[in-house]
Amino acid sequence: MNAILLIVRNDMKRRLRSPVSIICMFLIPLGLTLLVGLVFGRHGKVELSHIKVLIADDDRGFAANFLKQGMKQGKLAELIDLVEVDPAEGRSLMDRGKASALIEIPKGFTANILDRKPAEIALVKNPQESFLPLIVEEITETMAVMIDGAAQIFEEPIGEARGMLTGGRWPEAAELAGLLAETKPRIALVKGYLSDTLISIGSETVSAPGAEPERTLNFFALIMPGSILIGLLFISEITMRDILREREAGTLARILAGPVQSGRVVAGKMLSSFAITLVACALLIAIGRLAFGIAWGSPLKLLAHVVGSILLCVGLMAFFYGFIRSERVADAMLPVVIIVLCIFGGAMIPFEAMSPAMQRAAVFSPSFWVIDGLKRISIERTDWGGIAPHLAIVYGLGALTSLAGAAKLRGKLGGRG
Amino acid sequence: MIEVRELVKSFGDIRALGGVDFTVREGEIFGLLGPNGAGKTTTISIIAGLLSADSGSVRVSGMDIRRDGRRVRRMLGVVPQDIALYEELSGRENLRFWGGLYGLSGKRLHDEADRVLELVGLTDRADDAVREYSGGMKRRLNLSAGLIHRPKVILLDEPTLGIDPQARLNILDIIRDGVSGGMTAIYTTHYLEEAEKLCDRIAIVDHGKILAQGTLKELVKLAGEGNIVTVSGAFSREQVNPLLKGVVVEHLENGSLRMLIPGQAELSGALGRLFSAGIPIGEVSIQEPSLEGVFIKLTGRELRD
Ligand SMILES: Nc1ncnc2c1ncn2[C@@H]1O[C@H](COP(=O)(O)OP(=O)(O)OP(=O)(O)O)[C@@H](O)[C@H]1O
Ligand SMILES: [Mg+2]
Repeated sequence: MNAILLIVRNDMKRRLRSPVSIICMFLIPLGLTLLVGLVFGRHGKVELSHIKVLIADDDRGFAANFLKQGMKQGKLAELIDLVEVDPAEGRSLMDRGKASALIEIPKGFTANILDRKPAEIALVKNPQESFLPLIVEEITETMAVMIDGAAQIFEEPIGEARGMLTGGRWPEAAELAGLLAETKPRIALVKGYLSDTLISIGSETVSAPGAEPERTLNFFALIMPGSILIGLLFISEITMRDILREREAGTLARILAGPVQSGRVVAGKMLSSFAITLVACALLIAIGRLAFGIAWGSPLKLLAHVVGSILLCVGLMAFFYGFIRSERVADAMLPVVIIVLCIFGGAMIPFEAMSPAMQRAAVFSPSFWVIDGLKRISIERTDWGGIAPHLAIVYGLGALTSLAGAAKLRGKLGGRG
Repeated sequence: MIEVRELVKSFGDIRALGGVDFTVREGEIFGLLGPNGAGKTTTISIIAGLLSADSGSVRVSGMDIRRDGRRVRRMLGVVPQDIALYEELSGRENLRFWGGLYGLSGKRLHDEADRVLELVGLTDRADDAVREYSGGMKRRLNLSAGLIHRPKVILLDEPTLGIDPQARLNILDIIRDGVSGGMTAIYTTHYLEEAEKLCDRIAIVDHGKILAQGTLKELVKLAGEGNIVTVSGAFSREQVNPLLKGVVVEHLENGSLRMLIPGQAELSGALGRLFSAGIPIGEVSIQEPSLEGVFIKLTGRELRD
């Protein structure tokens, strides 16, 4: 059998026999997800900075007002920073990425609702952010359903009230009582009406407009991509570390004393690190689906992104181990590197909650692209264009670090042909 | 079969090899005998392609190890001084990996693994994890892993290290059985008896140099066919030294000395002088000519055990 595959098979067998270190590395991300998810779940709010939402109201009617007031009340007020703008200003602010979303309420929105004609709200989302615009979309949808439901329940009374209002006189007490009595039996019907709401929300992302499939928000889907990054980094680290361990155990020298090229030995060690990390990652994703109910999105995009991300992690570790001479140095250095990568990647604090300065720095961390890509695929259901930069970065940097790491490691092993 | 020419190797300031030069003929077991730090492992590592020499050359079967490294390594089997096995895998799994590296597969790999397991007496424990083996069992597995692919040349670096004398004899037997059918071997050790028992020819190494080489007989002749005579009694160095001019004397402690005496006549002469001078001698023992004598003569010291 090919020496590379032989080494990969042997390493996988060895990991199965003593899987403790891998299992530990595996439990860390899972534990983190569970912990953070539970904290979020218990308090019912995300520890995010305020979501900045622009609203351009051309309608100036009561339905539009209802929407605006709704977003300024109670818990939503803590979450959403609502700023009124005119439509042109709103678009230009969005183009510059100054807010998470822009809600456009067109002229005649209220009138259409009252007339039971289709009414539309436009939602423009910031493509730079993956999670926050979705929260806005979710809230807007809920409110639209509420307005619509109210309009349906009060359809006839509203007609009458309108008549009264347009008649220019205040209704008599008896008339009002009749109106209210009429509304009572209709409330029971709310559920039935909700399904065929007449208000539609046209949502678009500034750069990439397109139809968005239905989905619900899952806090775990926000957290777990970060946890997966933590898992990938730690597992690729301990599996690449094996090259030092084998060197100390003498088995590496024994392999090199055989008729094998040192380049193939390095390739075998890197490939086995890749394979073990991939298996661990697949398990994490499966657990995310089964235990946390995360819908990961397109399997093909997920596979493409995950493979690139693992290539990047293994490449980085191979590169580091090209320079590290002992486990002591590795112990001192690598956890720090990994934690920095995790922090700037947004595995500890979600990108959305970072300060603007940190957000600007995070973009330069390769780990950011790993996490952001995962979020885009699962939460945002982006098309290939939406993760093209992510794929370019993880594959490009992954190939670069892998080649550099392999060359350095090969040199370290003696570099014979 | 193996031609080692003028190997020089330094590690920083330490000169490990200062021109090691020897030839191993096909089918023989060649011993490299020397104390700790003599340069045995360094020599083996260079032949195995794990270290490169600062200068000098090694040819195996006429091929230069620098130019034809992989072809040479394919012919070699290496048994490293420090046990190099995967502790978490079973003995059989280890053998299958090491055999696989040399291109064995399928039934052939299976059969060869069984063969060497039988050879080293580990058939019963073959499927246990190596971490559950005793030190001696690991040594034996370490040995078998170097033999599984039936190498033409086997490099054995102190394969009996850290094993009790009983088990050591057992390993020597295994090597004698295993290294057969035209296999050529280099065997390093710092045990004189092992070299004497096992090796067809022996080179004595110290401080990175070969001090002498040849068959056991040739080496013993080098020592002048001398006897080693140990004398003990209630005497001091000062009393006996004037009586023993012209004899190689090593004082072990006061009241005990060892002499290397070339021939029968010289032996009776020296002992006669001691007796007639009235030196109180308690015990005299005479050892047959042996490698130890050669070693003492060449290095001025005993091999440490
Ligand atoms: N990697 C190394 N770095 C520095 N010095 C080394 C290295 N390997 C060997 N040496 C030195 O080279 C000399 C020869 O060592 P070597 O291991 O070849 O001796 P040896 O004959 O195998 O001894 P032993 O019987 O203890 O195994 C010693 O002085 C040793 O300290
Ligand atoms: Mg040695």
